[in-house]
Amino acid sequence: MIEFKLPALGENIDQGDLVRLMVAPGATVSEGQAIMELETDKAVVEVPSSVSGTIKEVLVKEGDKIKVGQVIFTADNNGASAVDAKEAARQQEPAPPPRPEPAQRSSGTTAAAAKPQQVPAPQPESQATPRRNRSTDAPASTEFRLQELGENISEGDLVRLMIAPGAKVSEGQPVMELETDKAVVEVPSSVSGIVNEVKVKEGEKIKVGQVIFTLQGGAASVAEPARPQRQPVEHVSGQHGARLAFQAAIRAEGKTEEQALPPDQPRSAPASFSMPAQLGKVAGTEHRSPVPAAPHTRRLAREIGVDIYEVKGTGPGGRISEDDVKAHAKAALSAATMQVPARAGHFAAPKLPDFAKWGKIERVSMRGVRRKTAEHLAESWNTIPHVTQHDRADITELEQLRARFAPKAEQAGGKMTVTAIALKVCAAALKVFPQFNATIDMEKEEIIYKQYISIGVAADTDRGLLVPVIRDVDKKNIVELAVELSQLSQKARDKKITLADMEGGTFTITNLGGIGGTAFSPIVNHPEVAILGLSRSRMEPEWIGGKFEPRLILPLSLSYDHRLIDGADAARFLRWIAEAFEQPFLLSVQG
Amino acid sequence: MNEPLNQPPNERTNNLRLAVVGAGPGGYAAAFLAADLGIQVTLIDPEANPGGVCLYRGCIPSKALLHVAKLIEESQQAKNWGIEFPVPKIDLSRLRGWKENVVKKLTGGLGQLSKQRKVEYIQGRAAFENSNSLRITKVDAGETTLTFDRIILATGSRPAIIPALKLDSPRMMDSTEALNLEDIPGSLLVVGGGYIGLELGSVYAALGTRVTVVEMLPGLLPGADRDLVLPLHKRLEKMFEGILLNTTVASLKEDGTGIRAKFEGQSVQENNREKTFDRVLVSVGRKPNSEIPGLEKTQVQVNSRHFIEVNKQLQTADPAIYAIGDVVGEPMLAHKASHEGRVAVEAIAGHKVAFEPNAIPAVVFTDPEVAWCGLTETQAEKEKREIRVAKFPWGASGRAVTIDRPDGMTKLIVDPQTERVLGVGIVGAGAGELIAEGVLAIEMAALASDVAMTIHPHPTLSETVMESAEVFFGTSTHVFRPKRG
Repeated sequence: MIEFKLPALGENIDQGDLVRLMVAPGATVSEGQAIMELETDKAVVEVPSSVSGTIKEVLVKEGDKIKVGQVIFTADNNGASAVDAKEAARQQEPAPPPRPEPAQRSSGTTAAAAKPQQVPAPQPESQATPRRNRSTDAPASTEFRLQELGENISEGDLVRLMIAPGAKVSEGQPVMELETDKAVVEVPSSVSGIVNEVKVKEGEKIKVGQVIFTLQGGAASVAEPARPQRQPVEHVSGQHGARLAFQAAIRAEGKTEEQALPPDQPRSAPASFSMPAQLGKVAGTEHRSPVPAAPHTRRLAREIGVDIYEVKGTGPGGRISEDDVKAHAKAALSAATMQVPARAGHFAAPKLPDFAKWGKIERVSMRGVRRKTAEHLAESWNTIPHVTQHDRADITELEQLRARFAPKAEQAGGKMTVTAIALKVCAAALKVFPQFNATIDMEKEEIIYKQYISIGVAADTDRGLLVPVIRDVDKKNIVELAVELSQLSQKARDKKITLADMEGGTFTITNLGGIGGTAFSPIVNHPEVAILGLSRSRMEPEWIGGKFEPRLILPLSLSYDHRLIDGADAARFLRWIAEAFEQPFLLSVQG
Repeated sequence: MNEPLNQPPNERTNNLRLAVVGAGPGGYAAAFLAADLGIQVTLIDPEANPGGVCLYRGCIPSKALLHVAKLIEESQQAKNWGIEFPVPKIDLSRLRGWKENVVKKLTGGLGQLSKQRKVEYIQGRAAFENSNSLRITKVDAGETTLTFDRIILATGSRPAIIPALKLDSPRMMDSTEALNLEDIPGSLLVVGGGYIGLELGSVYAALGTRVTVVEMLPGLLPGADRDLVLPLHKRLEKMFEGILLNTTVASLKEDGTGIRAKFEGQSVQENNREKTFDRVLVSVGRKPNSEIPGLEKTQVQVNSRHFIEVNKQLQTADPAIYAIGDVVGEPMLAHKASHEGRVAVEAIAGHKVAFEPNAIPAVVFTDPEVAWCGLTETQAEKEKREIRVAKFPWGASGRAVTIDRPDGMTKLIVDPQTERVLGVGIVGAGAGELIAEGVLAIEMAALASDVAMTIHPHPTLSETVMESAEVFFGTSTHVFRPKRG
């Protein structure tokens, strides 16, 4: 009997989700035959069998997370064909080079395969997100603007221009060299076509977003503009890079290089005679025992301002490598960055100018709700890649219903508002689209689907923004919701609301319609993944049945966490909500 | 020990004017590198060509003579191998001529290199007007005052003298005069058992002089480990008429037949308290040439031992002035000076550098040669530093036996925790060439296992380095000495 184990899938990929299983017990497989589809961080791959025989038992099922080296199935090595014989022989030998991936199967690799299982898979977000961005919201453009160059780099000096009017450019082709604070970078084009006009010249300072050139006729294929398709190529040598890292580190500390590196002071020459090769006695050298680092490494350390004696060597006998020095510099850099308190986010707030220069100012300490709001929203904004989807709902008919049921709600002690109805609509929508009622657990690499629906409603109070939560919205009718909402809002305004009243939400609604506006981008209330914003509804002419009719239109703005929710799903979700507003009957059918 | 500079000359160096005072191995190395970096260099020295003491009056002529001495020694030893030569006839003037030719060839070559690099070479002596200008008195008459952005002092050193032994006599020699090889004296007293005295004493002994060495300390070559000195001591005992340790020269007096020396010390008996020598060589060390005229007009500081004080960039207390080589301190070795010269120039060119070697090799070109680098046992003992020493006797080296020189030893001084090579000591024929591997091992922070696992060519003396590392692990092929414990 033979086993088929998941072979190595490629660099840094040690697991995948089994999305399709193509074999079953009793089936005959032959070498090279695709037996399943795995979804890895990078792609969906078809995994071919590296064995031939009749499958006896399949040890995995669809939806399983499968690690490299895990046994997929066992098979009987029946009808020993030539292939099988060869196969059996190969089992004794070291694994063949992993060509289509059927590598690791010899007994020697079994033990080795167990190890990488411990290693968590690399986080896929950094790659996945921009890719989706590109596919969903790429506006067409006939010009090329300077794209984002990297963190904290907003401009650069144009040192070399590689295009001229009339030149043909294609996506990915380098068009200029920019010198930034950090390095000289080659900037690739994100558009293709014939250059019409070059709007910059060498020697100029160019800012991110500035138009570099325009294309003829505008027949351009456009890539996502916010991010270069190819990362700029940095021409940084090892030493230069390390030096830059060091300079950045001392800048972060607010020091100049001279302050950070006081010049060596003249030292007395030693008082000894005869012929010492003892270095302690050589003029100018300190009496420290020789450091276990090669001369080149010691010089690199000096170049970038690292005291080689502080570097921990990872080599044999504590030998310090160039990498050790760089790692030390990097650690010093991040330590310097960490010193800046990062309370409200990952980035240090930029230094403020002295406003008093220009007029009278008053400083008031930021306390309570305001501070909490600042912290929480900054965290949300920093954590969640936000996208806002806008839509509009025709609530002409709903408005008539609302007016009809208003007295009933009032009787019960509540107020039949659009928000109250929106609660019911959203609860129904969340049942249909459970991923909007979820949370991402990055640490465990899991998605938490909540089996309850509790919706927070942003309330504008004297103390600031508060978000009381209405629990189990899906189990309450609109009148009940209207009553509860009124009570909670009152409680919030009366400063009687407790922390417990504001916890446990799975989705949030914020209604600015009472004030005005046509649309806005609400910030997702982390750790939720979506928020619905309502703006002021107003009469608008709608083209219905061959003529314009006055209809009451409610603008909807849905912000969502793009890590979890794809743009198309968001559009569907919001459309569902809009239609629910338009046809309240749907609620009773589907909600 | 320098790596190539990884940056081209920058604007700072383009218009920089640099003077290098003294054209020894430190000075000319500095001047040449500065020129290579695009600095305008003026090199000032009283000699016609660069070279300094090393080429004119030190390393080079002494090595030429030591080569001859070795040949004479071997021709005598050849008897043991079945080849007999008659007693060699020594044509002193031709020998002197050959030595001078060597010097001329090398210094002339440096003159060429200097011209090719467009270094302005001024044959003269410099005096400070202030921190940035030098008044130069040219050898072929005439004076000029030049201004510089930076000045490197590489004025070197000269033989030290003991005032009590100062005697105005043509029989008295210092190392410079000894190298002039005026005659082959019948007897020679060498005062000082350091490397200069032993090297020159060996030359004269080979030429037929009866040599007596007097050393104040209990051993020859103070500073070197005793086990390295021992084979040399044994051989010198045969070559020399006498080696007087723990002995000082109380007085020197010239009489009709020579110089009468009176000795003092433990080993001095009634029968050897006084002796007359045809010549006396005083080799008690060297003194830095820090008495540079006008130095008081600068901020340069000279310490109590007459060395110029410098920091790790070789910069003096005067920011415009750097100093390198013998004039800044021990060890007074050409290769230390050259390295310092290069570091100083790199510092001047704006690079972040420092003079921070892990090892400076020392070589005594006697026969056998003695060479060491890095930590010595003596030093480790003084610092109470825990070490392990692995020794490989040359008697077990095939190569040593084929050249009939089993009187050698190679040892590694190893850190017992990290097994890192901290020091290397070698005594034996050609030890000076072999020590370079030890320096590299220490600079690269090699472990004993690195040395042991590096394939060395067979049959060569270099194998002794590898096998000493194997001795450390108790697995030397040619020495059965199992690891204890």
